[in-house]
Amino acid sequence: MTRPRLGFFKFSCCAGCEFQTFYFQKHPAETLAAFEIVFAKMVLRGGAPEGPFDLALVEGTITEAWQADELKKIRKSSALLFAIGACAVNGGIPALKALAPELEVEGKVYKNLSPIHSIRPHPVDAYIQVDGYIRGCPPGERDLHEALTSVLAQKKPGFLRCAVCVECKLKGNICILTAYGMPCMGPVTNAGCDALCPTCKRPCYSCFGLMKQANAPALAKKFRSLGLSESDIRRKFTLFDADAALFSKADKLNED
Amino acid sequence: MHPLKPAKAVLKNIRQETADVKTYTVQVDGAFSRELSPGQFNMVGYPGVGEAPISFSSLWEDGCIGHTVRSVGAVTAFIDKLAEGDELLLRGPYGKGWPMDIAKGRDLLLVAGGLGLAPLRPVIREVLQSRDSFGTVSLLCGARNEKNLLFTDEYEAWRKKISLFLTVDEAVTGEPWGHSVGLITGLLDRVKPDTAGTCAFVVGPEIMMRFVCRGLMLRGMQPADIFVSLERRMKCGVAQCGHCQHAGFFVCRDGPVFPYAQVTGLMDGML
Amino acid sequence: MYGNGMTGAPASRISDFLVPKASFFRWLDSLRESFSVVGPVAEEDRTVFREIASADELHMEYASTMLSPGKVYLYSPREDLFRISFGKDLTIEEPPRSPVQRIIAGIHACDTHAVFYLDRTFLGAFRDPLYENRRSNTMLIALNCSAASRNCFCSSMGAGPFLKAEKGYDMLLTDLEDAYLVEIRTERCRVLFNADATQSADAEVFRRKEEKERSALRTFTKTINTDGLDRALRENPEHPVWGRTADERCLSCANCVMVCPTCFCHDVVDELSMDMKTVRRYREWDACQDARFAEVHGGNFRARRTARLRQFVTHKLDQTHQYGVFGTVGCGRCITWCPTGIDLTEMAKAIQTRKA
Repeated sequence: MTRPRLGFFKFSCCAGCEFQTFYFQKHPAETLAAFEIVFAKMVLRGGAPEGPFDLALVEGTITEAWQADELKKIRKSSALLFAIGACAVNGGIPALKALAPELEVEGKVYKNLSPIHSIRPHPVDAYIQVDGYIRGCPPGERDLHEALTSVLAQKKPGFLRCAVCVECKLKGNICILTAYGMPCMGPVTNAGCDALCPTCKRPCYSCFGLMKQANAPALAKKFRSLGLSESDIRRKFTLFDADAALFSKADKLNED
Repeated sequence: MHPLKPAKAVLKNIRQETADVKTYTVQVDGAFSRELSPGQFNMVGYPGVGEAPISFSSLWEDGCIGHTVRSVGAVTAFIDKLAEGDELLLRGPYGKGWPMDIAKGRDLLLVAGGLGLAPLRPVIREVLQSRDSFGTVSLLCGARNEKNLLFTDEYEAWRKKISLFLTVDEAVTGEPWGHSVGLITGLLDRVKPDTAGTCAFVVGPEIMMRFVCRGLMLRGMQPADIFVSLERRMKCGVAQCGHCQHAGFFVCRDGPVFPYAQVTGLMDGML
Repeated sequence: MYGNGMTGAPASRISDFLVPKASFFRWLDSLRESFSVVGPVAEEDRTVFREIASADELHMEYASTMLSPGKVYLYSPREDLFRISFGKDLTIEEPPRSPVQRIIAGIHACDTHAVFYLDRTFLGAFRDPLYENRRSNTMLIALNCSAASRNCFCSSMGAGPFLKAEKGYDMLLTDLEDAYLVEIRTERCRVLFNADATQSADAEVFRRKEEKERSALRTFTKTINTDGLDRALRENPEHPVWGRTADERCLSCANCVMVCPTCFCHDVVDELSMDMKTVRRYREWDACQDARFAEVHGGNFRARRTARLRQFVTHKLDQTHQYGVFGTVGCGRCITWCPTGIDLTEMAKAIQTRKA
């Protein structure tokens, strides 16, 4: 059996997803054995960025025009393309700059703006068609495993789409939101992390992004009743998902 | 025996029915139930991919079972790529099928929309085999267009014993189409059911069944004489996983074939 | 139909004892040699059911736990069904059945009724061998409740605070201050019971039990009128309370479903090994509040949050034709653990009063 040709591409992000894929997940050796690594800077010197690829994994937010061009090229040379990680899927941390006008953000970092060509931040599916979303910062074991094995088995991947609360209850964790009044984002956040933070009694901060059926305004109202300020709530809902429509809707409702 | 333990089956024959529909003739190993009835279903699956409920399009024939499948979901799209000789997993039969005993001795009206013809095919076969047990039998069959009609090479044999009426939403091939164009409800007046003596089996998209059933009622049929086959998400087939629950009914166990009277007006349904 | 014979033969003769608590707990401790004994244990400021290392750990005066012991220990949140191997042939193996003999001590009346409910699902026309194995290997020591919590409405559902059922479990305890009234229901439990300092429970003891029940009943603050309840819900699927609650409060987070002791829905998942040689097929609790739950190709029968919320509530308070009983035992967990405090009894009242 020929091994699927894999390319791993990074845009604006910390590269943690590539690290996770090749070093930190439970099956790095099996992953390297199952795929032919054609381009991945962390495991292969040089490589062939031009492909072709059976699977391209793309991490990072698109924040500069050249990245969008590059992304389109990758799409054309890949049979399957999955967005991997919060940045590529939802915009993630780099998309925080969407909360302020571009010039203002650039001015906060750079004195001389003439060589800066950054654009509004977007997840990769703003530019190209994506075949699957491996959520998380970094991705959880289950979704990553499902993504990779689905490509090997040539089937459609089945990703988790329920709330973090479901995984949290499967583990028997006492709910930190209802029992202790911690402002946990679990009820609106897509599962896949195996309830990592709530298991450690830390409120979820939604690094997997909103789940599809999230009711963000209702949770914002709950946070208000816990005594959170409007700006705290706003920060909670925009930390990883500043670009997502659902969060901006929640945002507006927060301000009424 | 674990009720969820699948049996191994071998794909003996694959027949392309339409662009995205194939009929799989499978040979099942071991002690797979001999008692299959029209309208029942199997959970058809492949390890690592999952299982999907698929009704029988033919019962035991030459030691094989037939399933007619449209490639749409994760499981069916995967099965679509299998070849003759490949293995797959089956378990069943599950659910309540068409009430053949109620239909016997009466006129029978079969109404099929799209892929809905597949679960009615075993009914048609049974009618053809014991034609004298039934009164007038009519089949109304609708499809999106001519290319989506199933089992077309069997129509001639069917027509010898039952009345067949075809309709398509739109004729697209440019070939002469000697049948109706329009919704399947438009065919209802062609058959004029004898309201007291007729029993109707209706299967297709739920919205189509809604209008067909209402059409039959307007023409004087009683809800107790109309039977529909419902489609719901299923994971187990044995009334345990809960996915197919429809206002308290387990579609996998209490259905998929229901008397229309039992399922009309239920919440989250269209009937 | 509860019990399904899973608890064995009923006790061969009347076996009701008054047992000093110290003596009862010594007996329970002695069982740890041959049983895994699970009971309510205080952890931080919450009570959870877990295996105990000593009866001293037990906190029998607990109010309610987040997860019911029946759902966790008899049904199990996640469990392997098959291991399928590709090779020359496909092979399908069942994992070995657990040989563990277990005792669940201190299970409340509502949660015992919830076990009877799970019996209906897993020991019905199709019997689930994993559940059946655990059910028959588990002895249930039920405990009558002395007081209701804020969200308890079991008294309205006939599922508490005192357990009236006479079979389907092994032993019933009633707290009589320094002693327990021990009512033994099964022969297997009678044979096992050898606590010291026991005396036969006389009429006076049962009078005290009745008194306890009356005082427990006085502590209820939440009620629901079950008279015509299922019909009222069925006839009002478009009542504004559904949409309003779904829009303004329901998070679709599924906490209600996950903590519900009678919610039996699960997903079946295939996990492929990275070398493509084996598949682990397992089931895990699933929830009707997840938008994916009722999705089929080309449609979703409960795409709207309103429909999903209504499915949960009507499964508890309507849909009685499914098993001939209400789907709720009145434990109140879905109210307690809903992040926005949605209360199905309040929703039912809204529907019932508008109807009236």
